[in-house]
Amino acid sequence: MSGSRTVILGEMPSLSKLYVNAAASAARRRVLGTHGGTELPAYTHEVRGVKADVANLTAYQHLIGESASDVLPAGFIHALAFPLAMSVMNRDDFPLPLLGMIHLSNKVVQAAPVPFTQALDIRARVENLRGHRAGTQLDVVAEVFTAGRDAAGQAAAKQEDVRWRGVSTYLAKGVFLPGIDKPSVPVTPPPFSAPDPTALWQLGVDTGRAYAAVSGDFNPIHLSVLTAKALGMRRSLAHGMYLASRALADVGAVRGDSFRWEVAFEAPVFLPARVALDIGTVQADGGAWERSDYVAWNPLSGRRHFSGSVAALP
Amino acid sequence: MSVNGPSVPGPQEPPAAATPAGGAAGTAAGMSQHGGTASAQLRRAVVVGGNRIPFARTGGAYTKSSNQDMLTAALDGLIARFGLQDERIGEVAAGAVLKHSRDFNLTREAVLGSALSAETPAYDLQQACATGLETVLGLANKIKLGQIDSAIAGGVDSASDAPIAVSEGLREVLLDLNRAKTVSRKLQVLSRLRPKDLAPDAPNTGEPRTGLSMGEHQALTTAQWKITREAQDELAFNSHRNLAAAYDAGFFDDLLTPYRGLSRDSNLRADTSLAKLATLKPVFGKNLGAEATMTAGNSTPLTDGASTVLLASEEWADAHDLPKLATVVDGEAAAVDFVHGKDGLLMAPAFAVPRLLARHNLTLADIDFFEIHEAFAGTVLSTLAAWEDEEFGRTRLGLDGAFGSIDRTKLNVNGSSLAAGHPFAATGGRIVASLAKMLHAQGQVSGRPARGLVSICAAGGQGVVAILEAL
Repeated sequence: MSGSRTVILGEMPSLSKLYVNAAASAARRRVLGTHGGTELPAYTHEVRGVKADVANLTAYQHLIGESASDVLPAGFIHALAFPLAMSVMNRDDFPLPLLGMIHLSNKVVQAAPVPFTQALDIRARVENLRGHRAGTQLDVVAEVFTAGRDAAGQAAAKQEDVRWRGVSTYLAKGVFLPGIDKPSVPVTPPPFSAPDPTALWQLGVDTGRAYAAVSGDFNPIHLSVLTAKALGMRRSLAHGMYLASRALADVGAVRGDSFRWEVAFEAPVFLPARVALDIGTVQADGGAWERSDYVAWNPLSGRRHFSGSVAALP
Repeated sequence: MSVNGPSVPGPQEPPAAATPAGGAAGTAAGMSQHGGTASAQLRRAVVVGGNRIPFARTGGAYTKSSNQDMLTAALDGLIARFGLQDERIGEVAAGAVLKHSRDFNLTREAVLGSALSAETPAYDLQQACATGLETVLGLANKIKLGQIDSAIAGGVDSASDAPIAVSEGLREVLLDLNRAKTVSRKLQVLSRLRPKDLAPDAPNTGEPRTGLSMGEHQALTTAQWKITREAQDELAFNSHRNLAAAYDAGFFDDLLTPYRGLSRDSNLRADTSLAKLATLKPVFGKNLGAEATMTAGNSTPLTDGASTVLLASEEWADAHDLPKLATVVDGEAAAVDFVHGKDGLLMAPAFAVPRLLARHNLTLADIDFFEIHEAFAGTVLSTLAAWEDEEFGRTRLGLDGAFGSIDRTKLNVNGSSLAAGHPFAATGGRIVASLAKMLHAQGQVSGRPARGLVSICAAGGQGVVAILEAL
């Protein structure tokens, strides 16, 4: 957070406006050429006093398969913070095109449970701009605090007060910023041999719309074949965080109130789809739950869609 | 009672043979007294504690919450209160009266969604409004028999998220359509569909055999026993007053976990008065010859909610360093022939209680807390009137005279369903957990453990009652 200036927004930005703005900005860049900068904006965006909508929470829990408890699921908090994270990437001084960015991986630390009645201060920033064989990647860091932590109104967020912290790594495919990286031949990944599945998901063609309705993420590539084709996809695809959140829900209550949750995305899930899933539990010496590893793949092609783990905090 | 016979001694103390059924029958009252000593030879089943979510009026805070959501929330609160994370409980039993067909494994699904060990077995039970109390009795019996050491009883109901079925006509067409092989056959089946078939079939509280709603049935009984509007309003007023006082005294602090923003039952009207209740218009019994006396104030509203009760053997409770509030002494079910008006629909407890007390050589005077479920104020008052009636006692209960009367100051002392609301299957768990806590606080009464009676009426002319004693 050093060297970063905080911009306090009056309210959570509207995702639909951000998407429209991102489209306009993409068009502008096409006309005027790429953005000149090679540095990430050193600004942290913050919204204070955010509260979850309880009807939306219940709808999310029902869709994802979480118990409809009063505690916000970790994936729900991601969705809550997502517009703010997007707003940082939507800044004029952000060097990469927002539309078409690919979500490579996501790491969440749920340090303490967050009840839905809790007002929250949410902060988001971008960092760690770096190369990738296929373009340029960066991390979007969002942090959630109990609201009212600083009576003086100063941005005195301390790391030990973080209730939830998410790091989303995105790739701007085909964008090579000068001095950062250049295209290289992809390394052939080790072959994936699918284990026996523990679950089989049937994802209907409306899966993207259903998740958009509860998460607010109306990215056109998830909504319909037509809107996805407009953005160069052959069909609509499932939200990565929908898939990862369902895996987290499948791990279940054994994860407790605080945990680390990670996912790495690979082949996108084009809708409709059948997705095979395997969840394996790793126990500590005393038999206590230590970690659940999950991997999901296409049962026909055998291609891996995503993998990750939910683990007890040290 | 089938513990006699060629039983194989288990690892635990083998149960002694019970008194043969019917051995001691033949009292003047004609009530079965057999087995009166059998319970002494079984180990005890104790109530450790309970947890429920606040009850919400239908269409309120829990409108979008399903039965599984609410049962899981109540269960997780219980797990947190008693440190049962990852614990393999002997068995969990719960149920719902208004139940979606997809919820055939409602309780097991709630267990899987909870923090209990996934190796905890569970089953669903359904006995209308007696569901919750019957889960307590069935599980307590298993504990007494040594089949399990711990159990969670519960119940849940949502009138907001009620199932709606398709009409019989549409259902038959859909099933035939599924069986039809050819397109022409499918079209033939579809041609049977009529506009009226598209009207959905919503659940109601009507009795299938009489077509009368529960309220209309109770209105008949209320008129039969000449229960006045004033007496019903007074009972409703006391229910609200007592429940409000219990909340203010912190009575529910360890019996309830907030859910969806509610921390008190939303039906509770702490500021209600007899004058306010008197202004309400009658809603049931308006077409009877007698004056209509039943209002929305002295009848329970449709409610959403869930409750759970942790039961255990004494050994299990001790080993887990958990409290032992009360023992589940015994229970009794009864049913009445209401279809042709021999008795009122909700009058079965009027028969169950005398039978249960006789089995234990007890009278109403031996009870320190009466928990008589307030389906309607008229239900409670009709039951009490029947017990006080000489003729009912002689002709229907086979006694020498009236069964007896109760000390009204011992009735529903922390409020009941008129104030708290009544999510059908959740009421039994609410009452048992609250009563166990009251009994434990009372401790001894004249040198014996404080004793409580639970009485719950149910649709279909049934009733389940139980005795609990303080520990």
